[in-house]
Amino acid sequence: MTWINFPLYSGIVAVFFLIGLAVLGYSYKKPGTFKFASISFAMGWGVLVLFVVQLWLELERPPMRTLGETRLWYALFLPLIGGLTYLRWRYKWFLAYSILMALLFLGINYANPETYSKTLMPALQSPWFVPHVLVYLLSYAVLAASSIVAIKGWVDYYKNKPETSTLALADNLVYIGFAFLTLGLLFGALWAKEAWGHYWTWDPKEIWAFLTWMGYLIYIHYRHFHPQKNKQALTILALAFVVLLVCWFGVNYLPVAQTSVHTYTQY
Amino acid sequence: MANVFHDAFAIFLFYCLHLYLPLMTNKTKLPQHNLWDTPWGYAESFLIAFGLLITGFVMEASLGSQTAISLIFPYNLILLIAYICVLIVLYKWASHHPIVRWLSKVPASITSIVFVTLLVMIMGIIPQISSENYIVNLLGLNHITTNWAFLLIIGLFLTCLGLVSIKRIAQFNKTNFGFILNHVGLFLALTAGVLGSGDIQRASIELKENEANYMAVDQSDGSPVELSFAMLLKDFKLEEYAPKLALIDNESGEILHNQGKNLYQISQGENYTYEGFEVEVLSYLSMSSPFGSRYVKVNEQGSSPAALLKVTNTQTNEITENWISCGSFAQQYRSLKISDKYSLVMTIPEAKKFSSELEILTKNGERFPTTIEVNKAHNHDFWEIYQLDYNKGMGKWSTTSIIELVRDPWLPVIYTGIFMMIFGAFYMFWVGNNITKNN
Repeated sequence: MTWINFPLYSGIVAVFFLIGLAVLGYSYKKPGTFKFASISFAMGWGVLVLFVVQLWLELERPPMRTLGETRLWYALFLPLIGGLTYLRWRYKWFLAYSILMALLFLGINYANPETYSKTLMPALQSPWFVPHVLVYLLSYAVLAASSIVAIKGWVDYYKNKPETSTLALADNLVYIGFAFLTLGLLFGALWAKEAWGHYWTWDPKEIWAFLTWMGYLIYIHYRHFHPQKNKQALTILALAFVVLLVCWFGVNYLPVAQTSVHTYTQY
Repeated sequence: MANVFHDAFAIFLFYCLHLYLPLMTNKTKLPQHNLWDTPWGYAESFLIAFGLLITGFVMEASLGSQTAISLIFPYNLILLIAYICVLIVLYKWASHHPIVRWLSKVPASITSIVFVTLLVMIMGIIPQISSENYIVNLLGLNHITTNWAFLLIIGLFLTCLGLVSIKRIAQFNKTNFGFILNHVGLFLALTAGVLGSGDIQRASIELKENEANYMAVDQSDGSPVELSFAMLLKDFKLEEYAPKLALIDNESGEILHNQGKNLYQISQGENYTYEGFEVEVLSYLSMSSPFGSRYVKVNEQGSSPAALLKVTNTQTNEITENWISCGSFAQQYRSLKISDKYSLVMTIPEAKKFSSELEILTKNGERFPTTIEVNKAHNHDFWEIYQLDYNKGMGKWSTTSIIELVRDPWLPVIYTGIFMMIFGAFYMFWVGNNITKNN
């Protein structure tokens, strides 16, 4: 079992996942059909697990050294976490998102076979790479969703019919997203200790990740103690998301980027 | 560009005030509550934090940052214990004092979080390196972590955090579990991080193959550090990725990377397309030496990768065939000119993995063999031993390995805090906004 078998296996996985997604979409109309979507996801995931296990045995090392191998782990864990989150919170859209992201990573590996062995600098070759990136990927998705909910909150507000359920949903998403965000930050700290000798170096990306964390921390505390002040809460949520976007895309354009170790653009 | 960020920052500040003003006016509208009437609310919290900030900046401008204390053991431990004792005493016997009450309530918490956020945001915008800007230097904005203003605000933040933590521990019940994990975890990680930073020792040592060394160099001041053990480098190993093929502009000599799309890892038999050129790798040798006009496979020190390329100009169908090589410390590089405008070059191979096979020799004559590599450190005698660097000029022929040694006695406390927060995060994921609902 090597990467040569990848198109076949990923093809089977993709078929299961796509059928599952179609059924999931349909289940919004007919809720009873959702269990067929889960069965399809589970079968696709099983095939993927089979591939990873066999690849691991074949390589005689954890397949975690190249970018392609890293993507394979994303594809493996995304549906798992999406599924667990569904079991706990019943967010179908989140399950669909995690499956779509998994498909995207499988697709990238399929379309760029040469990147299976693409260079990955030594500092990035760590068991922490996958969990660190994975929780951020999920965290950003949930927090982005909370911002969409916040927009609905603004619209409600201007229509003069604020619904408490809207903010309750935003709260729940922020709590889940914040939990992932905390894990991402802390996994990053543990990894940094392994790779660079210190858990916190105030690197620009770290600073902005910390600021994002603080932004949502303000929201959580504010909501907790002022559940009636919807407008202020929504403003905080919007600002926190702006900080998140700066952290995600913006840091590279800030004057501080010159001192960052998180810019891995290689030429 | 910088102006844009200053503007953005100003807008952010404006928004923060915007958030505050309604709160402040709401408070002051209440007939029975004038400013500084207890219990203090957001207006007072904001003014106190702002006062601390100004005080900090004035101290920074007048005293300078050299005076900022960097505590070392045992003084930092004594200070930490004393600080926690003071917090416990305040909670136990002074909890009705207006200041203590204020510190353990929400307005103070949120305000201190906002102020920490603002200061860290300055750090996230102004590069933390030496500056020529007068304001930046005067207020010490390029070294926020040792800035008096930051220390005062962090002090306020930790005091709020410490007091609420003690309160919840004292009134422990099952529903407090997640709260305690998150708050105490953060308190431990932050206090140990701030107070313990003076005890962190970072040193580096240069090892040569088959030589033992025990004299390291302190990274902060370059002073020698005598280790309690010696390290013997048995072997330094470096694995490389295959080099990449790149297109360069003949005039400027710059790589036309086209956001990385014009860079291909070289592999025998592969075909690549550049603007108007088809390139085929007819032969690739990872270790070779020039022999007349061609390259031959050799196995000796300083040999370099080389590739035989067949380049077809897709417009004129003109075919060029020649060798290129990235060279090494012992050999010249060789490029291939494919037109008046462009040449093909081979990039220097990137390191895939490098490791040092070491033996640690103790004073009692014990020998501990170990191998360290990036992301795989080794611990000996409270030193964490890292693979840091090697002789880059020699590349994979390097017989020198640079090792970093880090000692951080506060690490167990920080890890306790970090793991408490990790469990706290799982708790948060599971319970969700029920935390809010219950209240």
